[in-house]
Amino acid sequence: MNYYLYLSLIPEALIGSMLPPHEFGMYFAVGTRKRTRGEAIFFHVDSSFKSKDFPFDSLEKRCVPNSNGDPKRSVYLSIYRALEHVPVRYLKELYLVTDDGRVLEIGQSEYKVKPVQELHLYQELSPVNPLIASNLDPITFCRTITNKNHVVHVPKVVFVELLLGGLAENPKQASAYNLPYKNLDHLRDCLNSLLEKPDKPTKTVIRSMPCDLLYRTIKNGFFVGDAHDVAFYPFPSIDELEEKNHDWWRSANVIGFQD
Amino acid sequence: MTIPLFWLVPVAAVSALSFAFLFFKLMMREDEGTERMKKIAQHVRTGAMAYLKQQYKVVTIVFIVLTALFALMAFFGFQNNWVWFAFLTGGFFSGLAGFFGMKTATYAGARTANAAQLSLNKGLQVAFRSGAVMGLVVVGLALLDISAWFIVLNLFVKNLDETHKLVMITTTMLTFGMGASTQALFARVGGGIYTKAADVGADLVGKIEAGIPEDDPRNPATIADNVGDNVGDVAGMGADLYESYAGSILATAALGAAAFISNPALQLRAVLAPMLIAAVGTILSIVGIFAVRTKENASQKELLGALGRGVNLSSLLIIILSYVVIRVLGIPNAVGYWGSIVIGLLSGWLIGKETEYFTSEAYKPTRHIADNAKTGPATVIIAGLGTGMVSTAFPVLTIVIGTMLAYLTASGFDMANVAEGLYGIGIAAVGMLSTLGITLATDAYGPIADNAGGNAEMSGLGKEVRKRTDALDSLGNTTAATGKGFAIGSAALTALALLASYVEEIKVALYRLPAKAAAFESAMEKTLQNASLGDFMEYYNVTLMNPKVLLGMFMGSMMAFVFCGLSMQAVGRAASSMVDEVRRQFREIKGIMEGHAEPDYAACVAISTKGAQREMMVPSLLAIIAPVLMGAVFGVPGVMGLLTGGLATGFVLAVFMANAGGAWDNAKKYIEGGAHGGKGSEAHKAAVIGDTVGDPFKDTSGPSLNILIKLMSMVSIVVAGLTVAWSLL
Repeated sequence: MNYYLYLSLIPEALIGSMLPPHEFGMYFAVGTRKRTRGEAIFFHVDSSFKSKDFPFDSLEKRCVPNSNGDPKRSVYLSIYRALEHVPVRYLKELYLVTDDGRVLEIGQSEYKVKPVQELHLYQELSPVNPLIASNLDPITFCRTITNKNHVVHVPKVVFVELLLGGLAENPKQASAYNLPYKNLDHLRDCLNSLLEKPDKPTKTVIRSMPCDLLYRTIKNGFFVGDAHDVAFYPFPSIDELEEKNHDWWRSANVIGFQD
Repeated sequence: MTIPLFWLVPVAAVSALSFAFLFFKLMMREDEGTERMKKIAQHVRTGAMAYLKQQYKVVTIVFIVLTALFALMAFFGFQNNWVWFAFLTGGFFSGLAGFFGMKTATYAGARTANAAQLSLNKGLQVAFRSGAVMGLVVVGLALLDISAWFIVLNLFVKNLDETHKLVMITTTMLTFGMGASTQALFARVGGGIYTKAADVGADLVGKIEAGIPEDDPRNPATIADNVGDNVGDVAGMGADLYESYAGSILATAALGAAAFISNPALQLRAVLAPMLIAAVGTILSIVGIFAVRTKENASQKELLGALGRGVNLSSLLIIILSYVVIRVLGIPNAVGYWGSIVIGLLSGWLIGKETEYFTSEAYKPTRHIADNAKTGPATVIIAGLGTGMVSTAFPVLTIVIGTMLAYLTASGFDMANVAEGLYGIGIAAVGMLSTLGITLATDAYGPIADNAGGNAEMSGLGKEVRKRTDALDSLGNTTAATGKGFAIGSAALTALALLASYVEEIKVALYRLPAKAAAFESAMEKTLQNASLGDFMEYYNVTLMNPKVLLGMFMGSMMAFVFCGLSMQAVGRAASSMVDEVRRQFREIKGIMEGHAEPDYAACVAISTKGAQREMMVPSLLAIIAPVLMGAVFGVPGVMGLLTGGLATGFVLAVFMANAGGAWDNAKKYIEGGAHGGKGSEAHKAAVIGDTVGDPFKDTSGPSLNILIKLMSMVSIVVAGLTVAWSLL
């Protein structure tokens, strides 16, 4: 076996490749000659993962060097509903790739729920992309949204918690300084409705968000899980990014006209 | 025919050049850092020199043509024999100042970044003293050229009585200003187009071509962008202020020669006064430069305070010593003329403050633009245009009040005393520019700090160093904005003095045309020698009821807009070429994005250089040809109208463009600081568009207008003989 396995979130796909993670991230974001562009977020999936849901038989045959000797860059095993079929325990590092192909690797860590009652804002990345306000902490949110007993649920979810600043405690009056979200009044209303109706744990703020992430708004990190397993990938602090991953952080902060 | 005190002028010139050399040597002694830093710096140097070489090639052709024309005019008796040579030296010295300034700046970028690794103060010292090289070279070469010409013409102008000899000398010297103006025009317009084509091009690569940051070594346009900082803000600004500096001294000397024509001893002192004030100011600038230092971990305010300390010390000392100079020269109404100097200095300071108020994110106007970003790019553009327009009121009022006060104090509060009043206006311009050595140092410091930041980014220096270079860069942005206001204000005041000098030049032209002189004397019933400025206005019917004047004013106003429009369109075209080149490199050079292959930086530099040279020709030649054509068709009244219209509209338009551009830029920065959602918000995206629109406003068209208004006056002065000799209507 001479391939790597990646679970992409933008778009959702399971991909085999001969490229190691950083090279794959660069290729995935910008192509071979910078003719494409786009953020990429993907997990490195443990190579021991096998499943009948994907055509693994063909992977060994297709994921071989090209005729000119170049490594095979991508072999798609699935282009939708891939996440639900990959167990959380097989997910290794998470890779965040900027538009211009800079790659940041994040490892798993334990998430400790803070004993503070506050509101949360979650951007779901896969399989659907709504922006959700909630009074549930991330772990409970993950379990709730993937609970099969609920009428509306997903089998597995990847999401990221976003900063709310003072709005987390006082959505009506706190300053929204430095919060770049669209239609802040609507966000305040949504958050406030959670306070007014504590029995309703979630409220959809935006039905479908663009997949490009504004990294500076990430509060703590990425979560992936289902009703049983939840994995947490802590996003580094800005100080740490400036110190150790300056190139990635600079690229991640470039704001273009394209949106 | 001189006094011992005159020798202070060449001494000051040599001192300025010596200190410039010393600062250059000290800067060169600093380590340039790692191999990577050296390599990036070398790319920038090569690009900058390639640009200068190409520009000088084009300018040389223009100079050869114009020199031949002046020689021809002299041959036919429309101009004196010295003009073509004076024109050449003015251009040569201005070009030389740009060359030295840019060479120093391109050596200083990496050294500043490396010095910032040691401490913030060290970084500031290296950047500021390198900027001071530009400041001191400009004033040093200008004073050297002026004093050399004064000595030479003193020796060679013969067959005239003492008073007329001085009029002849000063008006001849004035024509060297046209050489400086022409050189400045190409430096400013070409540099402005280059820098924005590269900057907007590099920026658009990030904004359109997939988020590559500006100072990322994978961005093929990044070196061109760094070169552009030097080309536009060092060489362009230096040439602009060289011209204002020399122009104000020479115009004032010519006005002094005219104002005191009845008293030879006094006349000489009045001619020397602006030179001596400038000389003392130069020495005080050197003193001020040594006062600039800061402590480690200084805040932004403290850094600004460190620069302010140097400028303020020089200004304070010149206020005191300029009075001593006038007293020693024995010019009557010393307090009045001293008042003009102080008014000039205060006006310059005030315009800087007004610029800061309208362009700094700390104040209401810029925050108002930021507020409008919440409703999208259209309202950002509208708010920026509105703020820029409103902002014109204050510098214009400052110049109006300052000019009036300078006139009144110099004329002993007698409006009828026109000659001395106009001399006072010239003296005010000299006062404003007297400490140019240090004020230009703070301007030239900006692009050096900017390049240091770029070098630190591209070389991957640590977080602490980047923080220091960012602090130095941010300070440079502030000084650049106020420097632009100062450059516009001084250009307006200088152009006013040149306007008065134009009338003096008409008088000199009439001396060379006996038939015309006889017609004048017969019509005015007085000799040419005794004729006042008002007599010339009357003879040529320079009144608002003369359609030639009115048409000239329309043409002058139109010139300002057309010139601006052409330079803005030029930036758009050149920036598009840059984006195309970047796309080509990504297409054809494999491995740029992975960092395996180096982009072809030189190709982007060449694109910008070529674009700038190609695009600058039409607006530049337009500025040179317009006064000649206007004189040939409408004669002296038409030219006076053209100059007045060009000055009035050009000055206001320049302030508008510089302030609107600066305010858009800082509104974006204000939002990036967290306001209205901060970076990435809808407001921020709108503000980014405003900033992109404002780029050519503040860095190309606006600054180029300074030159337009001065160059049109200079061309008119040089071709005055032709205008007086013949016109169609």
